[in-house]
Amino acid sequence: MNRLIKIDFRKYFYNRTFWVLSALYVVLVVLVFTGAEAFINKIVSNVGKNSPVTIPNFSLYSFPFVWHNLAFLAGFFKIFLALIVIIFITNEFSYKTIRQNVMSGMSRVEFLFSKVLFVFFISLFVTLILFLTAFLLGLTHTEHITASLVFSKMYFVPTYFLEVFTFLLIALMFAFVLQKQGLTIGLFALYYYVVEPIIAFRLPDAVARFLPVRITAHLIDVPNSALMKLFGVNFREYVSWLDVSVCLAYSVLFVVITYLFLKNRDL
Amino acid sequence: MQKDILEIRNLSKSYGRLKALDSLSLTVEKGSVFGILGPNGSGKTTTLGVLLDIIKADSGEYFWFGRQPDASVRKRIGALLEQPLFYPYLTAVQNLKIIADIRGVAYREINAVLDLVKLGDRKFYKYNTFSLGMKQRLAVAAAMLGNPDVLILDEPTNSLDPKGIADVRNLITEVAQSGVTIVLASHLLDEVEKVCSHVLVLEKGKKRYAGPVDEVLEGALSMEVAAKDMLLLETVLSQMPQVKTIKKQNGFFVLGIHEDFEPGLLNKKLSEQGIYLTHLAVRTKSLEKYFLELLSDDHE
Repeated sequence: MNRLIKIDFRKYFYNRTFWVLSALYVVLVVLVFTGAEAFINKIVSNVGKNSPVTIPNFSLYSFPFVWHNLAFLAGFFKIFLALIVIIFITNEFSYKTIRQNVMSGMSRVEFLFSKVLFVFFISLFVTLILFLTAFLLGLTHTEHITASLVFSKMYFVPTYFLEVFTFLLIALMFAFVLQKQGLTIGLFALYYYVVEPIIAFRLPDAVARFLPVRITAHLIDVPNSALMKLFGVNFREYVSWLDVSVCLAYSVLFVVITYLFLKNRDL
Repeated sequence: MQKDILEIRNLSKSYGRLKALDSLSLTVEKGSVFGILGPNGSGKTTTLGVLLDIIKADSGEYFWFGRQPDASVRKRIGALLEQPLFYPYLTAVQNLKIIADIRGVAYREINAVLDLVKLGDRKFYKYNTFSLGMKQRLAVAAAMLGNPDVLILDEPTNSLDPKGIADVRNLITEVAQSGVTIVLASHLLDEVEKVCSHVLVLEKGKKRYAGPVDEVLEGALSMEVAAKDMLLLETVLSQMPQVKTIKKQNGFFVLGIHEDFEPGLLNKKLSEQGIYLTHLAVRTKSLEKYFLELLSDDHE
């Protein structure tokens, strides 16, 4: 496994596109994380000007809600990560370096595994960013910090990891099956924005919520805010074990499908 | 240690209705330089692709070193297939480090192979700054990395300049002398003729000939002779031990002769018998001619 990590590491470490996209992601996400509270408060205060009830100011960042709030927010940017995954997997096909890798002595399984590791480390990295920013924002925005307050909802962090990991494995599967960069990005976006929503619309809700993109998106539900409660809307504040199991099962399934596809294919 | 490095049994592969490989069987002995000849699209690259697990055959099997092939077997095989395949944004050294890691070879061997293909002074340049010939050299270097037991070279002199072609040929000869088995696919006949000990001729995925190059070229030396008295000529010639075959063709005799027999000697011997030739020509049969003959047989 170390060998595979070493091999793949070299492929990305010296690649400018990789660093530019990664830096872009980090800057974007950190900006959104730190700016979100002020932004929402501004909108709400504008909307609430004529409201008979006074709308309380939001605190997105106080422990323990910060974990849920930011994990939910971060979920919107995973399509960006899918782009990175698709670009670097399809590169192997367009440069035909997958051929060179395989004929030099890498098995097809090892090659696939190295890309699953790539997805794993990206997921880990973005989870780490979420953890650090949420932790720092929480520290600076919570009045009475206690350990139980900090840790009580931290499970949203590993849940976010699973969300990203499962989602990126869909992208991985698309990339291995379609191989052409433009085509993969196009069809993946089409599936993400059009095809699955249409399918979901046609299916009863109880079934539709298990569709791959949807279940990853709903793994972490919309955070309840004082505002939501005001309107009587109540979203799920916990993570359902059923959702987690389905996501894990999907992760295995996508890797297996990709393997079966790659196994007997001409490279 | 087993004698056969590679054994192929009834390998077939179709692309739609096109049969790229048609039940090909073959063995390659250790230490031989095995040439695969054939016109464009005859299945050379398909064959090598299958042997490297890049292409999956429809049926048939093959064994490397007497074993079922797997990824670890390929670590003992250095290969260059069709075109150089590297990461354009990495330098020559970084690209070779990836291959070294895949094969489990120490990085210190990288400099040696780069010097071997004369890329030493460009090793820290990115691959996408390389000319076609340099890319090809890097691919040869990659194939040589880690002293493989077998080298598979598919058109290795593609896009090289004359100096580069000579360099690669010398390299092949040197490597072959060190006991490495080489499988060389080419459509350049003189290339195969110059360096190979054995040859496989492919046409439309079918084996047309496989065996030592010497045997292909046996009878490669021939002479055309004619005299006024053809009957006498024939009887005299048939008594000469150096003459192996006599064939009548267009009013000449075409003689298959031993290698050391030369026209002067023939002339001398015949004049001693009172025969004076009206026509004497030496034909050297090259692999090229043989190859064209072989392939044209089918279309008659």
